[in-house]
Amino acid sequence: MAQIETELQLLKAEAINMWTLVNSQLSKARLAFLNFDKDLAREVVTKEKRVNGSELKIDRDCENIFALFCPVAIDLRFLLAVLKINSNLERIGDIADGIAKYILDAEAPFTRELLEVTRILPMYEESVKMLEDTQEAFEKEDTILARSVFKKDDFLDDINRHAHKVLERHLKDHPEDTSQALWLLSIIRKLERVGDQAKNVAEEIIFYLEAKVLKHKNKFV
Amino acid sequence: MDGKNIKYRIGKSYVAQIVTTLFAFACVIPLLFILGYIIKAGITKINWHFLVNIPKPVGEAGGGILNALVGSILIIFFASLIAIPIGILAGIYLAENGKSRLAYWCRLCVDILQGVPSIVIGIIAYFWLVKPLGSFSALSGSAALAIMMLPIVIRSTEETLKLLPSSLQEAAFALGIPFHRVIYKVIIPVGVSGILSGVMLAIARVTGETAPLLFTAFGNPYLSFNITKPMQSLPLLIFNYATSPYNDWLNLAWGASVILLLWVLLLNIFTKLITRKWKVQL
Amino acid sequence: MESTIIKSRNFNALFGSNTVVKNVNIDIPRNRVVAVMGPSGCGKTTYLRCINRMHELIPGATSNGEMTINNENIYDMHPIFVRQKIGMVFQRPNPFPNLSIYDNVIAGYKLNGVKLPRAERDRIVEHSLTRVALWNEVKDSLNKKGSFLSGGQQQRLCIARAVAMEPEVLLFDEPTSALDPISTSTVEELFHELKVNYTLIIVTHNMQQAARVSDKTAFFYLGELVEYDETKIMFTNPKDNRTQNYITGRFS
Repeated sequence: MAQIETELQLLKAEAINMWTLVNSQLSKARLAFLNFDKDLAREVVTKEKRVNGSELKIDRDCENIFALFCPVAIDLRFLLAVLKINSNLERIGDIADGIAKYILDAEAPFTRELLEVTRILPMYEESVKMLEDTQEAFEKEDTILARSVFKKDDFLDDINRHAHKVLERHLKDHPEDTSQALWLLSIIRKLERVGDQAKNVAEEIIFYLEAKVLKHKNKFV
Repeated sequence: MDGKNIKYRIGKSYVAQIVTTLFAFACVIPLLFILGYIIKAGITKINWHFLVNIPKPVGEAGGGILNALVGSILIIFFASLIAIPIGILAGIYLAENGKSRLAYWCRLCVDILQGVPSIVIGIIAYFWLVKPLGSFSALSGSAALAIMMLPIVIRSTEETLKLLPSSLQEAAFALGIPFHRVIYKVIIPVGVSGILSGVMLAIARVTGETAPLLFTAFGNPYLSFNITKPMQSLPLLIFNYATSPYNDWLNLAWGASVILLLWVLLLNIFTKLITRKWKVQL
Repeated sequence: MESTIIKSRNFNALFGSNTVVKNVNIDIPRNRVVAVMGPSGCGKTTYLRCINRMHELIPGATSNGEMTINNENIYDMHPIFVRQKIGMVFQRPNPFPNLSIYDNVIAGYKLNGVKLPRAERDRIVEHSLTRVALWNEVKDSLNKKGSFLSGGQQQRLCIARAVAMEPEVLLFDEPTSALDPISTSTVEELFHELKVNYTLIIVTHNMQQAARVSDKTAFFYLGELVEYDETKIMFTNPKDNRTQNYITGRFS
């Protein structure tokens, strides 16, 4: 095998490891949120360092491969995609860390009614699924799976758009939930960004595999 | 450029082509004439009897050229024995040390030697070898011929070796092979066809030399294998018998001419075959 | 700490009175690939040829300074012995045209008059040809002359010939510049495998090749060693401005 192939395979493995790590961070944060588990939240915060370290390593490895092997064509697109996906994943890691920190600061779990009215739980599940789908699409080089992620983002955007109104209505009847509602809104915003990041990752995967640039475009291609 | 000008130039080119072809033919024609004439005159004189007998005294019919054949072979053999090792080694030296002072003087002397008239070489051999040793001998004849062979062998060896790419030597040196082995095991084997053709050329050249043998080998009416005594050779026989008034001897001269011609012809063909077979594809 | 196999200290090489390699100080680590790069005429080939004492074969060529292998001074050893320990592969593939493939591989022994038993010779030939990934391609035509091989195969044959002498170091003087791209990458693959058993020093004017194959890179310019460092660092963040200008193509 040519030396560059070996290096690219190592890089792919590292990227998948990073994915798995961020996936687990986001899932753990969801469980901590669901069950108001402060210990789990603390785990997430501690592991955030690992996520950052992984991002730095992948950046450095990409730089080395660019410098030493001058890749072209699909190798070049792969490296560019990995570089961007790397920073997207790191931001998702940051969001998971942020959610975990909220749990740690919160005094009581969120009320059942609030959770149901905002539909935050399905939103969270969907965002985790989106991230998992992108990982599978990357590993299996499946562009159809990557494209399916875009639709899911619409779902998240929808919930996010309605959250404001929904909470306003709820607070009219239950003004004591204001503090919780504000935090919930924050978390919803964060989850919407997770969806955006996952969508960016899917775009990069399609760029790498098909050389098609879907950024800033209408998604029906 | 008008049409007339172009026609003139095309015509001129055509004429030039014809003239060069004609001159090429002109070179071949004399050779064909000579070959044809000699073969026609001498082929009938050759038979088995001719080849295995020595010339008979005047007046007796028959006779042959055996002593001249044997003599030529022996003289040239010993000439080669002297000239080939010296020539090849000198050629190797010149190819390897092209720029040294000795190489410069050596090349100069070789060039001058090549131009020295063959009769002068014969006279010198007479004064250096025949007089001090007290008698004519085949060996002194060999020495004279060897001097004539040297420049050809040296030059062709040097040229052959110089044409070999230096990467060949480099590869051998880089393997830790000492200089003398590089020469004898790498350079010479690759250049052997060129060196051999030089040797053959030299032999073909001196086969027909008469002048150096006049005062050295001198000639001998009898069959002899003693190289310290006078010996007959084909050119000498032709020289002596062609100007004689006896018909028998004239016949011998014609026959000997054909034999000599055939010998040189075969040598050249043999050389061409050998060099093609042994030529190393670089 | 890697061990050093070849060291140069204040090493100079001259043609007549013209110094073409000036004051080189370098440590070559064992079992690594070191690339030597630089523009034409920078002295890199001259320096390489000093390592196995081929430089002094040119009339008027001299050198001074310290050059050691395993801490023994190369210039105190007999040149024949040096060249058996340090093999060289040249730019143009140059198998001996009058020898068969088999004889070419053991030429280092055969032409030196070393008589080996048949089994030993066969072992060396198979081993060397396997090391250069040529065994399967030529094992049925060992008695043929090497001229029918392609350029890349001939070059690998030359590497096998050098490897058969069981050297410690292999020097390569622009080994792929006369080869087509596929043969070039085949030979480059070899470097990764060869470095397990030998130390490789490769002179190349193709800096992408230096980037691809080497662990450390030395940059020569106008006879001087300008910079010598890990290849990764040389190509991502070189310390000398001249190095940076060279690898970014600001001057050829």
